[in-house]
Amino acid sequence: MTHPSELISAYLDGELTASEAGQLLSHLASCGRCAAEMEDTQRVRAAVRSLPVLDLPVGLVPEADAELIPLHHKRGVWVGAAAAIVVVVISVAALFAPAPASVSVEDLSSRFGARLSLDPAFGPAKVIMPEWEALVDEE
Amino acid sequence: MESIPLTWEEVARVHGRKIYNFAYRLTGNADDANDLVQEVLLRVRKGLADYQPGSFEGWLWRITRNAFLDDIRKRNRRLTTPLPDEVDRWDLASTAGADVEYTRVSLGDDIQKALLELPFEFREAVVLCDVVGLSYDEIAMAAAVPIGTVRSRIHRGRKMLRGILE
Repeated sequence: MTHPSELISAYLDGELTASEAGQLLSHLASCGRCAAEMEDTQRVRAAVRSLPVLDLPVGLVPEADAELIPLHHKRGVWVGAAAAIVVVVISVAALFAPAPASVSVEDLSSRFGARLSLDPAFGPAKVIMPEWEALVDEE
Repeated sequence: MESIPLTWEEVARVHGRKIYNFAYRLTGNADDANDLVQEVLLRVRKGLADYQPGSFEGWLWRITRNAFLDDIRKRNRRLTTPLPDEVDRWDLASTAGADVEYTRVSLGDDIQKALLELPFEFREAVVLCDVVGLSYDEIAMAAAVPIGTVRSRIHRGRKMLRGILE
């Protein structure tokens, strides 16, 4: 008896013609050996397909990273809002500062700008995105 | 008709992740996969100008497998000389997501190890089919072999995997 075992994988992958599939299925109905091979092959196929899909390491291909950050427009809105708050805070601070002659808005802006560059943990660019996403999703 | 990415940046965006997964499953480690992805995208960048309309997937995966095989050949030549210190060549593993990524990778450790035991032709066919999701036609084009050979390689590859995993 000829065992069409090489048709088994192609059958599982949907790569057989209808007549080949019919031939295999009628053979399987009467051949325990090939039926067992079909089950084993299906298990191995499923195991390989269950391997986790890995993400491209961030920074490896900067052109591909854009795909991983779909919130550009939302981030723009929030960065803009954060910047507006900063302007208000600076303005209020300037109004109520005890010695307005010695601390100008320009000075505060300059110091704020310097802190932004020296302390990466401070500033709107570092606000945690997942919380923003949650906020946006609620809207 | 299949739409063709016009620029290599689009190829990187659309196919980068798939190429990385193929490279990782073929090489078994992130450093080699990183190198392979960059080499493939470099070749795509150079080759896109001469690309003839046809099966883009077949073309892309042929470039990928050739880059892998060229790398193997280079490594075999290099084995006669001491390996360079490559400790800090890729610092990506120290990023915040590294632990999470490691956990995800280790979930398939046994299967990954078994894959690496397969001869290249069988590993390639199984990975292109089960990890990348190519059709037998596309695999035949990538590997430059008849479709009957693809059918046979995939089935025999799975049979070998079963033997290794048991």
